[in-house]
Amino acid sequence: MNTTSILANQSVSQKNVKLEDIWPELEGGISKILLELNQGFPIKKWMALYTHVYDYCAASQSKAGPKVGVSKQQNQSGANYVGEELYNRLNVFLKKHMKELLEVADKKMDESLLGYYFTEWERYTSSMRYINHILNYLNRYWIKREIDDGKKEVYEVYVLSFVIWRDCLFTALKSRLTSALLDLIEGERNGYQVNTHLIRGVINGYVSLGLNREKPKETILQVYKSSFEELFLAATEQYYTSESVKFISENTVADYMKKVEARLNEEVKRVQQYLHQSTETELISRCEKVLIEKHVEVIWNEFQNLLESDKIADLTRMYALLSRIPRGLEPLRATLEKHVQTVGLQAVQSIGSVGATDPKLYVETLLQVFKKYNDLVTGAFRSDTGFVASLDKACRRFINENAVTIAAKSSSKSPELLARFTDFLLKKSPRNPEESEMDQLLNDVMIVFKYIEDKDVFQDFYSKMLAKRLIHGTSTSEDLEGVMIGKLKSTCGYEYTSKLQRMFTDMSLSRDLLERFHRHLEQDNQQVLLGGIDFSVLVLATGSWPLQPPATNFSIPKELQACEQLFQKFYQIQYSGRKLNWLHHLSKGELKTKYLSSNKSGYSLQCSTYQIGILLQFNTEEELTTDDIQDSTQLIDNVLKSTLTVLVKSKILVSEPELIEPEDIGKGMKFTLNKQFKNKKNKIIINVPVVQQVKEEIDTIHKTVEEDRKLQIQAAIVRIMKMRKQLSHSGLMSEVIVQLQQRFNPKVNIIKKCIDILIERDYLQRVEGQKDMYSYVA
Amino acid sequence: MSTIKLESADEKVFEVERDIACMAVTIKNMLEDIGETDTAIPLPNVTSNILEKVLEYCKHHKEHPTPQQDEKKDEKRLDDIPPWDREFCKVDQPTLFELILAANYLDIKPLLDVTCKTVANMIRGKTPEEIRKIFNIKNDFTPEEEEQIRKENEWCEDKGN
Repeated sequence: MNTTSILANQSVSQKNVKLEDIWPELEGGISKILLELNQGFPIKKWMALYTHVYDYCAASQSKAGPKVGVSKQQNQSGANYVGEELYNRLNVFLKKHMKELLEVADKKMDESLLGYYFTEWERYTSSMRYINHILNYLNRYWIKREIDDGKKEVYEVYVLSFVIWRDCLFTALKSRLTSALLDLIEGERNGYQVNTHLIRGVINGYVSLGLNREKPKETILQVYKSSFEELFLAATEQYYTSESVKFISENTVADYMKKVEARLNEEVKRVQQYLHQSTETELISRCEKVLIEKHVEVIWNEFQNLLESDKIADLTRMYALLSRIPRGLEPLRATLEKHVQTVGLQAVQSIGSVGATDPKLYVETLLQVFKKYNDLVTGAFRSDTGFVASLDKACRRFINENAVTIAAKSSSKSPELLARFTDFLLKKSPRNPEESEMDQLLNDVMIVFKYIEDKDVFQDFYSKMLAKRLIHGTSTSEDLEGVMIGKLKSTCGYEYTSKLQRMFTDMSLSRDLLERFHRHLEQDNQQVLLGGIDFSVLVLATGSWPLQPPATNFSIPKELQACEQLFQKFYQIQYSGRKLNWLHHLSKGELKTKYLSSNKSGYSLQCSTYQIGILLQFNTEEELTTDDIQDSTQLIDNVLKSTLTVLVKSKILVSEPELIEPEDIGKGMKFTLNKQFKNKKNKIIINVPVVQQVKEEIDTIHKTVEEDRKLQIQAAIVRIMKMRKQLSHSGLMSEVIVQLQQRFNPKVNIIKKCIDILIERDYLQRVEGQKDMYSYVA
Repeated sequence: MSTIKLESADEKVFEVERDIACMAVTIKNMLEDIGETDTAIPLPNVTSNILEKVLEYCKHHKEHPTPQQDEKKDEKRLDDIPPWDREFCKVDQPTLFELILAANYLDIKPLLDVTCKTVANMIRGKTPEEIRKIFNIKNDFTPEEEEQIRKENEWCEDKGN
């Protein structure tokens, strides 16, 4: 506001003040503030000094200013202000004060120098805040104008005080101050108690001295950085270089890592305690370089040992330290992979040949290894993606190829054992786990399943076993079956489980159908035709169920014929054009004994249809020969023999002569009912020869898997070629592998064979004149 | 609400709320340095009748704070004096000038602005002779000097017409 200067001319209370009139009093006051502020400063005095400055600057300016218009240049920038002389006197005075301080400081060393410097700094800065206020009128007009005019060497009083301190005192002392600071810090690193308040105070002073020329109210860090931080970082590096070399040569790597962890924490705390926050990043990165990077080889080499001795805490620490530096973890990933694989292989080796026959033990062994290292990876290694990948790779290897699979000469052994383990879980048995554990156990199955390469083999086994559980009604619970299928579906997709799902659907459709059948009989009053037999039937779609057709002819006993015919008739009316095949070898029934005097209520015998076919004949005959039985049942030799053997062994029938080996059954052997039969239980299940059956099944599955794969490979080739029209041999190979990998690992020679088959059948042809190129034949 | 005492040049003591007194930056700075005090703060450059006016201004503006506007824009404009302030500045010339000096001495920027704007409005559109008359200024230029100044400021005169 320029108006003031014009008005000053008119001032009613105008005084005529010269600098000489006020300076002695002002100087005395400033000096008192600088030196004896702690004794207090009276208000009257404060106000008097302020008024002097005001009177001098405001009153004199009208005289000091040249006549209006005489100097054009000054006119444009407004009125003139008084103050330069006062500013210069202050400048000289403060510099003199610095000289006095410096003289005392020069006689001091180390911590006492720091102490002196800090005390004086505190006193000076708080005094200068007073003096700045008292001289505020100078700040407001003369100094402001000079700064606005771009004079770099003029500062507000408070800023001026910093500039003078920096140039006249700090510059002379800074190297001694910094080395004293570094001594103290080293002392603290060596475990001594130091005056952190002092360090912090002096360092804050360094920061305050970083004046920003552009924005005088803010500080930049150049003084702190150049006079302290650089030297501090260098000293730190040196300190830890020598400490780490010495420590690691005298202690274990595990102890060294503990030391490093502690040191890094200390340094972070140090920054918070008395350094500027901006130092942290660089300080820590230097420490990491010296403490970790420089010794990384030694640390890496310890990894294997720690893994072998399961030192989880040390492994956690190692991960934390190495993850701080670039590429610190890479070698560990390979080591982990190899280690897990070795441990996995050893674990399977140690259970020996039992593993091949005990699916539970086998799967649990695999899981134990997985879980142990999964805990390590998710815990100590914080689920680091690289380590997760290593774990996956290692598990995939030892799960698909280990002592058990090598002994079985088939990588399909693992999926088979896993499927059998699942069957063990889902099949009703007194050894079934608690229901509460089931979900966890099925999840465990899925863990191993994820690593299985031949997922198609698992599928085959699984569907066979599921079929059996459903047909024989031996599932633990339908819910759990559904849960398991759901899990498979979410891992492998809809297609993988579609057959399993349809089997499920068939079961409930059958229930409905059977109900309708019985209702139908009721309506027509035909129930009597069933002859009192509790008859039930499952209608299963051939395409969805992995069921073998019967291996033998069989003519069912006349007692059962009515049931079959009624149902057949009913079914054909419902679904004309569908063909029913009776799978008697999978069917069963219950017979009640009435010929035993020892048990009046009679035993219930649970038998296969074939056994029923044989036993029912003794309703009319006392004694039958092998030939007689074969005539009436039409069973082929080996089925007949094994069925008779079971009946004899379970003491239902008696043979003459006595039977020792199934092969002994001759054409003329005679059989009669055992009238002396006795058993503790009322309900007796007559066993079907199980073991042999299972073994046969496994073999056929392995065989059918190979055939299935060929078909799948061919289908994949056709799909790919139909889309690509033309493709090189190697391109086709890799695409086939990619497409099928989720199910199984197709072997190269088999793919080649399949290509040949397709060429023969005119699906593909070789492109003439081009090597290894195929094209699709539409 | 704590109060402090201010003592005018003619030794009259005014007790005012601390917050109101602190609108004067000079007083605010001093209290910051010295701390709480019971002693009356001497203001040797302000007489009691002016101090009373100044305190009236501070009190009003403490109770009716004007919304902060862009400072630069305010400085240039002369027609933005709020009604209360305009009334407040309707005083005789010597009082107005004393107010300006007090506002400057005590460092009360809004009061300084509004009083100076009032003076500027008195000058606006007047000839030098009229201005001399209003403010009772003796013409101390020689005719040559006056001619030279008129030449230098021709652009300014044109604009005035």
